Amino acid sequence: MKKTIFAFLFSFSFIYSKAQYNNMWIPDTLSGTTFNLNIKDTFKQIVSSGQQTITGGINGNFWGPTLFINKGDLVHMNVKNYLNDTTTLHWHGMHLPAVMDGGPHQTIPPGTTWQPYWTVTNNAATYWYHPHLHEMTEEQITKGIGGLIIVRDAIESALALPRKYGVDDIPLVLTDRDFSTANQFQVVPYGDSMLTNGTLRAQYLVPAQVVRFRILNGAIERSYNLGFSDGRSFSVITSDGGLLNAPVAVTKYLLHAGERVEILVNCTGQNGTSVDLKAYNSLLAGNVAGGENFPNGPFANALGKIDFNILHLVIGAQTANPISTFPSTLTTNILLNSANANITRKLTMSDSAGVPGILGPNAFILNHKLFSLNVNDYNVPLNNTEIWEITNSTAFGHPFHIHDVEFNILDVNGVAPSAAQAGWKDVVFVPGKVGPNGTAQVVRFIAKFDDFADSLHPFMFHCHISLHEDEGMMGQFIVTDKATAISDIQKNTPLFSVYPNPTSEKLFVKMDNKNATAYYVKILNALGRTILMLPRPDLTQGIDIRQYAKGVYHLVLTDEEYKQTVSKTFVIE
Amino acid sequence: MKNRTIHFFILLIFSLIMFSFKSSINKMLLDFSLKNINGKILSTSSYKNTKGFIIVFTCNHCPFAKLYSKRLNDLNTKYSKLNVPLLAINSMDSLVYEEETFDLMQQKAKKDKFNFPYLQDGNQVIGKLFGAEHTPTAFVIWKEKNHWTIKYVGSIDDNGEHPEKAKPFIANAVDELLLNKNVTESYTESFGCRIFYRKN
Repeated sequence: MKKTIFAFLFSFSFIYSKAQYNNMWIPDTLSGTTFNLNIKDTFKQIVSSGQQTITGGINGNFWGPTLFINKGDLVHMNVKNYLNDTTTLHWHGMHLPAVMDGGPHQTIPPGTTWQPYWTVTNNAATYWYHPHLHEMTEEQITKGIGGLIIVRDAIESALALPRKYGVDDIPLVLTDRDFSTANQFQVVPYGDSMLTNGTLRAQYLVPAQVVRFRILNGAIERSYNLGFSDGRSFSVITSDGGLLNAPVAVTKYLLHAGERVEILVNCTGQNGTSVDLKAYNSLLAGNVAGGENFPNGPFANALGKIDFNILHLVIGAQTANPISTFPSTLTTNILLNSANANITRKLTMSDSAGVPGILGPNAFILNHKLFSLNVNDYNVPLNNTEIWEITNSTAFGHPFHIHDVEFNILDVNGVAPSAAQAGWKDVVFVPGKVGPNGTAQVVRFIAKFDDFADSLHPFMFHCHISLHEDEGMMGQFIVTDKATAISDIQKNTPLFSVYPNPTSEKLFVKMDNKNATAYYVKILNALGRTILMLPRPDLTQGIDIRQYAKGVYHLVLTDEEYKQTVSKTFVIE
Repeated sequence: MKNRTIHFFILLIFSLIMFSFKSSINKMLLDFSLKNINGKILSTSSYKNTKGFIIVFTCNHCPFAKLYSKRLNDLNTKYSKLNVPLLAINSMDSLVYEEETFDLMQQKAKKDKFNFPYLQDGNQVIGKLFGAEHTPTAFVIWKEKNHWTIKYVGSIDDNGEHPEKAKPFIANAVDELLLNKNVTESYTESFGCRIFYRKN
């Protein structure tokens, strides 16, 4: 009888333990050099029963496909906005021209296609893409719009690393959400429920071998202090923008909003066991996002300053040709030398007391001013090597992100970064001061701005806590070369013609000055809606207009040299 | 944290909006007229012997709203016979959203075999009057003396994808009103695609 009861209880506990988890969703993949990304309003059954949750998705019903791209490839993106709201899509961490960057200036109206392209120069690592519409980033990211980018290169490909996507090379997008009683996402900085790849209470089957996790902190605000429930060591192999010189063994790794890390976990010989990847956020200081414990008010949440599960890992059989050891070395990073710096830019993070235009009495801001889309903060000369020194006098830590470049952290309060942070980064955590009378905290990093001079489109820098960014904790800079720095030259309007007109398949643009090129081309329909946005288009092959209805259209061209804009009317028949 | 204050203000504003939305229950409305997809102006005053209307703010493109076409037809079939017809209203800004043009409304009504009027709120006046924020959002308005009173605001039901599992909020509200009872659940959360109103 006892045996029967025990067997029953065992079975029940097994079923119960199975039932409490949901199998984790893995984003689809796209590879090649041309990517079609359709941003949509959609919905998904995220909570196991009851109403579906209204979401945003790219090609699917939550999040977007993982894009595999190769260093050296020229990649083209066809981004169509099917939302009933304007949006942007920023390629986080990618080194590319500002006009292709997808920041708050490259707005895509509803119904419009945006076609940026660039040559991939980033090192192999995990990057991501997400909306960056000013004052709407938190809301649009909350809907779930975004996706991962995996860059591959010859150095990474030559290493014996796990590379079977979804099998031993597993993407993990970490975030948390608050659900209303009708299962709807609430636009709040902290959620009550952990979402791993959009899955509540996620579990995943991994093989008993070395497993690689590519982890993105895609949360609005929360940091995750990663570790395993059995306290095992794991090895960090990348910082945001590339491989480290060698794997770095750790038992905890603190990942802030916007950051990515790739880790190796050795599950060899553990078939039939399980372990949990957890956030040990009870260990976080009260001035780190997620280390706070507000009992009520808008920042109260069920995950504040506690440890919680991110992913329940069930370890199963080995695959064929498993990776069973960690490489001893990964790459040779040649970091930037501060002796070569042309300038040290000093930035501040502060409270906004006394600054006009803040909604409510206070917010966090950069350089003691509120972000404005129309104000350029810095002109960075092309090829400059710069030290950026950020002094945080707020009582809260902020993950600082800069577009355009990957940088090297020089020091945090004078202390060199740990080995796991001593690579290429695009987000750096700037700690908050401790206590109201604490000392301001200082982070320095170094970056080289060796490409993409553009007098019109800026790159952004900001706190990657979307709430802070939306509230104006952001700035922008233009990379200038000598030619673009001269502003009082005579600006000629571009002379060009479009042909054939009427047309039915392709529209060609002929510049009168054969050396002139187009900086931007937009096509508008007769009602004035922008239907196609072409940054720096290659016009030699013409513009394919077959998908558009018959009617009158306008081509609006901005030239590269003078940034002057002229429109021509044409007819599709 | 000092920035907590600012967020509190944002939440406060949001709460006030929600409060105003909830407070539209028992709001009194006069008759209104809009253009139907047959090109004719339809007025609520033209309905004789009507006890009330089921008003559903919907649109062409919203994937969640699209789930409800059959349910709207069924509601109209059942309740128009009981003098509570259904009117669908599109308050989306057709200047911004090409998918919401009148032509495409006509096409959608034909494709989904709408058995009820599908009205264009071209100037977004009626959407604002009701306080509709998303598509789909449903209202039940009831005849009281010489005006209409909002008796229900919220979702059509509580399961978009699985109608067989759904609690029929709208049907329940109308059933109670037809029995001269108060509506037990007069407010539910509504969600879907945001209706962005043009600034005047």
